[in-house]
Order: sequence, then C-alpha cells, then structure tokens
Amino acid sequence: MQVIDWQIIIKEHGSTVWNTAYRLLGNSADAADCFQETFICALKVCESQKVRNFSALLTRLATTRAIDQLRRRFRREQKSLILDEGYVSSGLDPAKCAQQQELAARLQKALAQLPLQEAQVFCLRYLNDMSYRRIAKELNIKTNAVGVLLHRAREKLRNSFSSLSNQQKSEVVL
Amino acid sequence: MKENENNLEKAVKALKNSKVPHGPSKDLTDSTLTKLNQVSEQSDKKEWTKQVVLSKRFKLINISFKIAAAVIFLIAIGYTAGRISAPKPLDMEQVQTALEPAIREKLLEEVTQYLQLGITSSYVQIREELTEQYQQDLRQAALEILTASGTITNRLLQDLIYSIETAQFQERRRTVAALEQIELNRLEDKGRLGNALFTFAAQTEEELDRTQQNMALIAKILSDRQSDSLIQNELENSNN
Repeated sequence: MQVIDWQIIIKEHGSTVWNTAYRLLGNSADAADCFQETFICALKVCESQKVRNFSALLTRLATTRAIDQLRRRFRREQKSLILDEGYVSSGLDPAKCAQQQELAARLQKALAQLPLQEAQVFCLRYLNDMSYRRIAKELNIKTNAVGVLLHRAREKLRNSFSSLSNQQKSEVVL
Repeated sequence: MKENENNLEKAVKALKNSKVPHGPSKDLTDSTLTKLNQVSEQSDKKEWTKQVVLSKRFKLINISFKIAAAVIFLIAIGYTAGRISAPKPLDMEQVQTALEPAIREKLLEEVTQYLQLGITSSYVQIREELTEQYQQDLRQAALEILTASGTITNRLLQDLIYSIETAQFQERRRTVAALEQIELNRLEDKGRLGNALFTFAAQTEEELDRTQQNMALIAKILSDRQSDSLIQNELENSNN
C-alpha cells in the first residue's frame, strides 16, 4: 500500500481542487463539501491502486464531484438561490460582470443536464486544459472516445444554448 | 449556429475566468485532514474485523458447538484484551520516519550498484574508444611527419645540388681563367724565347764566323810554322 502524506498532498494540490470545485459550483459551502469529498474519494482510490499523478486524479475527482453536486442542485431547482450567494465580483463593469455571470450560470445549467461522462470530458478539456491523452488515461477510455464525447458535449451544449436564447426571445416578445 | 458557438465559447471563457476566492481555508484543510484520518482508521478497523470473522468461521467447521462456543468466548476475551492492549493505529508520519532510512539506504545501495555497473561499462567503452582514437591520431601524426620530413629533405637536397652546381661552375670559371692566363704566359714566353733564340743564333753565327776565321788564321799560322820548322829541320839535318 502506498504511504501518503495527505498534508503535503493537500498543500500541493488543494488550491487546484478548490479552484475546480468553486468554478463549477460557484459558492464556498458547496466547494468546501466538494473539496472534502474529493480527498476522501482520493484516499479510497489510493487504498485500491497506486497513484502516480495526484494532480490529474484530484482534478478528475473534483470535477466529477462538482458535476454530481451541480446535477443534484439543478434537480432540486435551487440554482438561482445558491448562485446569488456565491459569485465574487471580478472588478469589471457591472453590466459586463452580470453578462458573464449569466453566461457562466447558463453553462453550469447546461453542464448539469449533460450525461456525466460528457460533462466530465468537457470540463477537464476546457476548464482544466487537460490533454486528450491525459483525459483518456484518467477516465480509462480511448483517446478517440474522448474526441467523440467532447464533440457530443459541444453539440448538446450548443443546442441547449440555442434553446435558452429562443426562450429568452419569446419572453422578450411577450 | 455560429452565434450559439460564440455564446458557448464566451460562456466557457466566462466560467474559466470567473474569480475564485483564495482557498482552501485553513479550517477546511484541517477538517479535511481530520476526516481523512477518521476514514483511514475506519477502513483499518473494517479490515481487522473481517479477519476475525473469517478465523471464527474456520474454527466452527472443525470443532463441536460447545468447544466452538468456548473458543468464541476465549476469542472474545482475547479480542477484548487485544483491543485494550493493542497499540494505537500507526501514525503515518511514524511509519514514514521508521521506514524512510531503510528505504533510503536500500535505494542508495541500488542506485550505487546501478551507477557502478553503468560506470564500469562506460569506462570500458570509453577506454576502447580512446585507444582507437589515440592510435588513429598517432597514425595521422606519423603520416604528417613523414610527409613534412620528405618535403624538407627534398628541399635540402635541392639546395645542396644547387650549391654544388654553383661551386662547380665557379671552379670551372676559375680553371678557364687560369688556363687562359697560362696560354697567355706561354705565348709571351714563346715570343721571348724565339727572340732569344734568334739573337743566340745570330751571335752563334757571328761567333762561328769568328771562330772559322780564327781557325783559318790558326791553320795558316800553323802551316807557316810547320814550313819554318821543316826548313829548320832540314837546316839542322843539313848541319848535322
């Protein structure tokens, strides 16, 4: 069994896990839960197998946990309440900031509606800048499959964005 | 379609660039560590309990129920005593501290062996390569020296031949000059000798003429004296 100093691991990779979780969840409470769950899950993984790349493993686990939480949240339809609590001012002008927040919230909603693996692949690729090969290794799938999943995810996200904009247009007309 | 794509890109960018507060906080880190320790301990306990249950099952198969009950009782007592007297679960840091020197030593030994092997093999290879290189350099140097010495020898020989020829030429010139001088002297001597012989011949002729005249005179005188002596003899004879 691997002897691991979790204090060092948390010190080295804590910020990465935190950023990943917070970016997807948008509030500190959920991000903290996700942070703890990620490390506990990592401990269980370490008991069953030898881990070489902690950064990649923790990023994947954090992304998975965060997406799970997002899905639960959107299922409960509490998104607006929680999002309003957590967003931090980015220093831009309010209009732009609001626009960006809205876009981010839309993407979060759309991600929560995607199948888990597609959402995972999308987040790891575009939010964590992982290579196809790394993603394939972490998710235990082929590199080609990563490409396919990413394509599907993009397609679905594009559709969900178009449907959202149509909804907005119809609301404006009414 | 393109608008949606742009929106998607913008959304990804917005989500990626959204400000994240500095974290995790110290409390969160500490609580996570505590939770990790708890989970780790729980998993250790579970494994231990599993082992005990398995050993009980094995005993139940072979021994009768009463003995098994006693054994279970004993095991329970042992287990309780064991639990009471058992050392606390190992601290990761302690395990690390205990194992680190041995692992480091072994690692050092292995690395040393590996390096020694590598160094030995590379040493032999480098030696062979250097020997070959050295021989090649020597050969090349010898060739260059031979070529250079041949060139120098040829130049020296050419110089020697040139100086010998120059010396011979000067010698010949001197000889020719000497011969010419001798010829001049000879011609001069010949002229002088001719003149001398001519004078000598003229003088000899004169001398001979004088001698002849003297001889003729002498002869006349002699003849005159002879006739006088004859007359004297005859006179003496006639006196006698």
